[in-house]
Amino acid sequence: MSAQVLGSTSFERPRWLRILEPLGPLAAAFALAALVLFAAGHNPIDVYTLLAVEAFGSSRRIAATLSAATPLILTGLATAVAFRAGAFNVGVEGCIFVGGLAAATVGFTFVGLPAALLLPLALVAAVLVGSLWMLVPGLLKARLDVDEVVTTLMLNFIAISLTAWLVNGPLLAPGSANSATPMIADAARLPKLMPPSTLNAGFLIAIALLGLYALWGNRTALGFETRLAGMNARFAAASGINVPMLVIKMMLLSGAIGGLAGGIHALGNVGRFVAGFSPGYGFTGIAVALLGRGSALGIFLAALLFGALANAGATIQFFSDVPIEIVDILQGTVMVFAVAQLGWIFVRRRASA
Amino acid sequence: MQAAEEKPDPSIRLGARGVTRRFGPVLANDAIDFRARRGTVHAIVGGNGAGKSTLMRILQGVDRPDSGVILLDGAPASFAGPAEAFARGVGMVHQEFMLAPGLTLIENLILASEPADGFGRIDRAAALAKARELEALAGVSLDWDTPVEDAPVHVRQIVEILRLLYRGADVLILDEPTAVLAPAQVRELIALLRKLRDEGRTILFISHKLDEVLAVADEITVIRNGRVVDSLPRSSASREGLAEMMIGEVLARPEPRAATAGTPVLEVAGLSARDLRGHAALSGFDLTVRAGEIVGIAGVAGNGQDEIAASVTGLCRIDAGTIRLAGADIAGQTLAQRRSAGLAYLSPDRAAEGLCLAAPIAENAIAGHHRRPDLCSRGVLRRKAIARHVGDLLDRYSVKRASDRQPAGSLSGGNQQRVVVARELDGDPKLLVACQPTRGVDIRGIDFIHRCLLEYRDKGGAVLLVSEELEELVALSDRIVVVYGGRITGEVMRGSAGLEEIGRLMLGGRQG
Repeated sequence: MSAQVLGSTSFERPRWLRILEPLGPLAAAFALAALVLFAAGHNPIDVYTLLAVEAFGSSRRIAATLSAATPLILTGLATAVAFRAGAFNVGVEGCIFVGGLAAATVGFTFVGLPAALLLPLALVAAVLVGSLWMLVPGLLKARLDVDEVVTTLMLNFIAISLTAWLVNGPLLAPGSANSATPMIADAARLPKLMPPSTLNAGFLIAIALLGLYALWGNRTALGFETRLAGMNARFAAASGINVPMLVIKMMLLSGAIGGLAGGIHALGNVGRFVAGFSPGYGFTGIAVALLGRGSALGIFLAALLFGALANAGATIQFFSDVPIEIVDILQGTVMVFAVAQLGWIFVRRRASA
Repeated sequence: MQAAEEKPDPSIRLGARGVTRRFGPVLANDAIDFRARRGTVHAIVGGNGAGKSTLMRILQGVDRPDSGVILLDGAPASFAGPAEAFARGVGMVHQEFMLAPGLTLIENLILASEPADGFGRIDRAAALAKARELEALAGVSLDWDTPVEDAPVHVRQIVEILRLLYRGADVLILDEPTAVLAPAQVRELIALLRKLRDEGRTILFISHKLDEVLAVADEITVIRNGRVVDSLPRSSASREGLAEMMIGEVLARPEPRAATAGTPVLEVAGLSARDLRGHAALSGFDLTVRAGEIVGIAGVAGNGQDEIAASVTGLCRIDAGTIRLAGADIAGQTLAQRRSAGLAYLSPDRAAEGLCLAAPIAENAIAGHHRRPDLCSRGVLRRKAIARHVGDLLDRYSVKRASDRQPAGSLSGGNQQRVVVARELDGDPKLLVACQPTRGVDIRGIDFIHRCLLEYRDKGGAVLLVSEELEELVALSDRIVVVYGGRITGEVMRGSAGLEEIGRLMLGGRQG
């Protein structure tokens, strides 16, 4: 359902309305969270002002927000790519774990290599492993019509547990009590853009991929075919498009981007792989893709929003007694409203068709 | 109002008076009148698209008439939905059975009205007692604990009928009930229906199979193109008379045409294929379509014509046989490969398969051609060339539109079909498989599409035409191949096409 709406562009409504439409769920979510804040004895306006200042108040804070948005751009993109072909991949979280571990392992194993070799190698490892992780759900959906929501969701648990076991055993850093790999070589680190901020070259990679995605989606035959397959698979098949193969390809691409998100997180931020590596970037990515309606700009803005919330939320609890959970509430309600709005658009469109 | 003047006649258990239902330009039911008397089997007979299904939906309360009324016990009535129809004794057995999989027969029997004890637990003993009672009534004996999936089709049908009785229906509407049955089972069903009738129930028997209708019905109403042609008692009905009423007259008989057909474009030999349910739909089927020729396939729905089209397009797998397109065997190829070998396909399901309604017209107009060198170079779409091409194409086919970017779903049915025809005839295909090319299209659109097909043929194109509209087949085809039960029962050339002859062949008669 959502894939159909995400993939389509509506031409009957004016352009400004289409641009403003995703703001509806945002406004609704902030209003609802304001009620929660108010009920908890806070002044919502003060809290929101504080959030905005913490997220965008200075160049350092903006850098921190962009850094927090980086994995979300990638996970949002990974989700959107699969969505476009009509597959609801909720397994990006798992790809982050396996991709992150793969990149870190390359990063601490081949310590002698120069950066120009080691860094690409580590990222390629993340991409390959993330992609492979989605091979089975992709094949199952394309060939046997097995629901990808179930398979990819379950694979998340396997990915999280499998990597946790690996970093507790075979890949545990010597002498470490934590469930973590050794630190990666300096040559494997993604260069920082604005030290001391954690913002790193991974952000540039994410932006470049967004640009490629926009071009691919609007200009290429494959992007066109993917959109048709996501909107109406029977029509696509009757037009001669190999829909099952397309679904497999897009699941692999989705997994590759998810793995890359993990690799960038490992090489750019954490410097190694630790258990509990991702605080749910993959799941927030679903919200980013839904809110961004599958468009490159939309994904960027939605990732920026959630990045800002995560960044500011982490600091406001130092300066106020507002609990960080308000950020989770906001994130969750934005997602529920965004999905509800999509459903509503879908029902309305079907009624008019 | 008429209702006030006319005195209700309680002997009429179920009927319709002036029931009219319009879908866009299509008048599905046009002032339908019929009266089914209590304790009789009343058959409603008509070809595909005659408006039977719409009428059934209205009688079930699933749909409402635009004007006219349902008659219940002779008096005007209206149902808010199937539940209310049920409450007033009217139940229906659908063509696609509606039993819940995963449950046993008895669980299906009592579904939605389970006998329960004081704690809300299902009283199985009471259910079984009731089931045995119904069994005796129907003169059958069933193993009620069989899961639905394991029960043969005719048993499932009996359970469907008993379920209506269980829930107190005394009017049974059966939609094409024999479509899934073997001949012996048909006889059993007919015996069961007679028994139920003799006990005072009223049965509405929807069918296009005249032998069965003549065997079971007390009264027969024939509908065609949404109108009642005639209602007559069984005693004054004949097979030939009914066939003629079902099929009607062709307004203008096409002139014979000098044979200009060229080399074979499509050669099908020994084709066997199965339908969606896995039953044999075609066996040892042979067919040739030549360049500059339209070959029509006539047949009552479900006699293999859909599988012929699906086999040629590659949308269904075949069990045996060869399919050659311009000399090359395409049986193992994908639809994409067949398309690049010169196949074009007009889908019978425009909304779900022929178009992507949510996508812009322009994208619909190039789908399938979008990798052609003039529209795409090295995987990148040539947007300007596409815009120009689409504009020209849509202008040539006079598609009425505000913009090439508006969604295809915002066009009228006729204009939607013009987009499909424009796309499929684009790029000079060798063979066009046209299924129901004018379904849901108004008269002007029909005329336009017919001219497109004829023009394409005159330029040397080969057309395989599958249509439920016999008049369309006769008007367009150079040859009509009649199928029945997955086999060819005869072939009629243009000009010599006697409708009575085609009708007879469609109903399984042999060519004399």
